[in-house]
Amino acid sequence: MRKPSLGRALVHGAAITALAVSTMMSTSVLAQSVDISQWSPEYVRSIAGTEEFDTAEQCGAVTPLDYQGKLTFWYQGVFEGDPDLLRQYYKDFFVAFRETYPNIELQEQALTYNDLLDKFRTALLGNAGPMMVRLQILGGVEFASKGYLQELSPEDVGWKSEDFWPGAMKSVMWEGKTYGIPTNNETMGFIWNADIFERAGLDPEKPPATWDEVVAYSKQIHDTLGIAGYGLVARKNAGNTPYRFMPQLWAYGGGVFDEADPNPTYEEVRLDSPESKAALQASYDMYVRDKSVPVSALTNQQADNQPLFLAGQVAMMVSHPSDYDVMLDLQAKATGADKEKAQTVIDNMRYGLIPTGPDGRRAVVFGGSNIHILKPEYVDGGVVDEAAAKAMTCFWTSPEWSLKMAYAGSNPGNLNGFKTSWMKERLENIEFLDVTTAMLPYGVPFPALPVTPEIMNIIIPDMLQNALTGAMTVDEAADDAAQKVRDLTGGGGL
Amino acid sequence: MLVYTALPMIWMLLTSIKSGFAAMQFPPQWWPSEPTLASYQKLLDPQNSVGQDFLRFFWNSLFVSVCTTIMAVVVAVPAAYAFSRFSFPGRKFLFFAVLLRNMFPAVIFLVPLFILMRVLGLVNTHGSLILTYLTFGLPLAIWLLKGFYDNIPVQLEQAARIDGATRFQAFLLIVMPLSAPGIIATAIYSFIGAWNEYIYAATFLTRNDQLTLPVGIQRFFSENTTDFPGLMAASFMMSVPVVVLFLVLQKYFVRALTEGAVKH
Repeated sequence: MRKPSLGRALVHGAAITALAVSTMMSTSVLAQSVDISQWSPEYVRSIAGTEEFDTAEQCGAVTPLDYQGKLTFWYQGVFEGDPDLLRQYYKDFFVAFRETYPNIELQEQALTYNDLLDKFRTALLGNAGPMMVRLQILGGVEFASKGYLQELSPEDVGWKSEDFWPGAMKSVMWEGKTYGIPTNNETMGFIWNADIFERAGLDPEKPPATWDEVVAYSKQIHDTLGIAGYGLVARKNAGNTPYRFMPQLWAYGGGVFDEADPNPTYEEVRLDSPESKAALQASYDMYVRDKSVPVSALTNQQADNQPLFLAGQVAMMVSHPSDYDVMLDLQAKATGADKEKAQTVIDNMRYGLIPTGPDGRRAVVFGGSNIHILKPEYVDGGVVDEAAAKAMTCFWTSPEWSLKMAYAGSNPGNLNGFKTSWMKERLENIEFLDVTTAMLPYGVPFPALPVTPEIMNIIIPDMLQNALTGAMTVDEAADDAAQKVRDLTGGGGL
Repeated sequence: MLVYTALPMIWMLLTSIKSGFAAMQFPPQWWPSEPTLASYQKLLDPQNSVGQDFLRFFWNSLFVSVCTTIMAVVVAVPAAYAFSRFSFPGRKFLFFAVLLRNMFPAVIFLVPLFILMRVLGLVNTHGSLILTYLTFGLPLAIWLLKGFYDNIPVQLEQAARIDGATRFQAFLLIVMPLSAPGIIATAIYSFIGAWNEYIYAATFLTRNDQLTLPVGIQRFFSENTTDFPGLMAASFMMSVPVVVLFLVLQKYFVRALTEGAVKH
C-alpha cells in the first residue's frame, strides 16, 4: 500500500502554512519549549521521545500528593464506539489519578458529546454544577462570559501558557482573562477510498487538491458507480456539521466573521460575502445539482457517515485519525469473510490534507477540549475544592496524560506531550497520524465569543439546510444566516 | 401491519448478533454470515465494565419504574374513584386541570423541575425521577381509571352497603376486584412511561451508579462512531421486561381497553 504524498502537498501549501502559523502564534512564541513555527511531520518526529516527565512529581508541586479532599467532575467521555485503545487510556487515567491522589474522593461523570452542553447549562441554572468540567472547545467562552467559571491559567497548575497552542489559549480567554486550560487539540484530515477512486477512473493515490475538485470528483464517482462521492454532514444542532463545513467556507475565503484572518476582531459579519456564498454553492451543487452526496446528509452526523464509508458507499469524508483505529478494532472483532472484507477497507483507506480553496487557502477547524473550574455558587453544595480541582487539572493537562488521553484521535494540549516517548510510540503505531498532525498549523479556532455555539450549531446548519432543501436560494440562505448573526451579536437573540 | 410492526424488532435482533463490521455492510446482510453473541456476552458479564454498567442501569430502571408504578396506582385509584363517585365543588375543573401537565412538552418543565428538585435536595436521587414521572403518569392514570369506575354500576356498591358493608369495604371488596383490569392497564402504562423516559433521567442524575437504562444506552453512541450491535443488543434487552409484562398481563389490558366500549 502506498501512502499519499504528504511531503509534496506540504510543499505546495508552504506559503499558506506560513500565514496560518503566524495566525496561530502569539508574540510569546519564542518562549515555547516546542517551536510551532517549524511545525511539520519531520519536526514532530524529531522531538518525539526526547524528554521524560514525572507527572506525580510535577502535580505534587501544585497539590500535595497526600492532600485530602473531594472533587466532582464532568467530562465528555469515550464510550463503546470509540477505539479500545482510547477507552483503555481513559480507564488508566482515572486509576492513575486515584493512585497518585488516594485521599481525593473523585466523583466523575462521563457524558456524551451531544448531551454535555445542554446538561451543563441546566445544572448551572439550578446551581447544581460539578466543581470541574471538561468542555468542547467552543463551550468555554459562553460560560466564562456568563460568570460561571473561575479564572484558571496554565500557570495555576505548574505549566506555562506558551506550552499550549496560541489558538487553543484564545478559546479559553474572555475579556483579557483566562478561564481554562486546553486538554487536547485536533485537526481533521481528508479521508478517501482508493478502490472507489480507481473504479471511478480517478487516481487512487491522489486526493482532490481543491474543494472544486471535491465537487467534481464526487459527481464523477456518483455518475460512474452510483454511490455517494462525498460524505456531506448538514445535521442541525450537531457539532459535526460546522467541523466539516467551516473548512470549506474558510478555504473559499469566507467566514462567519474574520476568524480566519491573522488578527480577528469578530466585528465584521462575512457569511453573506461572495466567498462564503461560493462555499455554500459548492455544497448545493453536490447535494441538489449533482445528487452526489448521501440524501440523508440533512440528518446525518459523522457517526452515520462512517458506516457508509466503511461499507464502500461513500468515497470521501473529513474525519479524525481515529477512524483508522476504529476500523482496526472492527476488523479485529470480525470473523471469517467479514474479517477479510474489513481488511480490504483498511487497505483502501487513505488520508490526505484537507483540500484548498480556489486561491490555495487551506483551513480546518482547530478543535479540542478545555478544562475549567467553576465558581462555588454554581456548584452542588456551594463549595469548590480548589486544591483537588487543580490536582485533576494538572494531571489531565500534563505532557503524559494530555498525550495519552488524546492517543488515537487527537493531539496533546500541552505541547510538551509531543516530546514524550508515548508520542514516539504513537507515531510508529498509528497510521496516518502524520497527516492530521500536519493539519494543525492550518487550524482556525472558532470565534472566541459567547454566541459561537449558537452560530456554529444552529445558524450554520440552518443556512445549509435552507439552501439544500430549496427553502431559500443560496444567496437568500447566506443573507439570512448573516442577518441572524448580526441580530445575535447585536443582542437581538435568535 | 404485523410485518410493519415486527420488522424493526427483527432487524434489531439480527443486528445485535452481527459483528461491528457486518452491521455496517451495504447492502445490509439480512442474516449475518458470521452470527455472534459477543454483544450479549459483554452486556451480561458482570466481570466486564460494560456488563457491570448495563446490569446496574437495568436494576436502576427497574427500581424507578416499579416505584413509580406502585405510587401511581396507590394515588390514582382513590383519586379516580373520588372523581367518579363524589360530587364536590370544582370537580369538573379539577378533573380537567390534572391533565394540563400532559398538554405541554416535557422539555418545558425541565429547568423548573430541576430547580425544584435541587431545592428539595433530590437531584442525584432516584426520588427525583419517581416524583417527576408521577407528574405526567398520574393524570392519565386517573383519567383511565375514572372511566373504568364510571362503568361499574353504582347499584353494586349500594347493595353491599345495604348488606352492612361500609363505603370503604364496598370499594375494597366490590369495586376493586371489578376494576382490576383497569388498575393493571394503568400499572402497565405507568411502568412503560417510566421505563422509557430519557430527558429527565439524563438531566437529574449525575452519578454513574444511578443512571437508568435509556441514559446508559446512549453510551453506545460516540462522537464519530456508533457500536450498532452493542446498541441493538442493549435495546433488545431493554425491551424484554415490557414484552414480558404485556404477555403476562395482556388479557387484563385488552379487557381494560374494551370495557368502556359497551354501555352498561
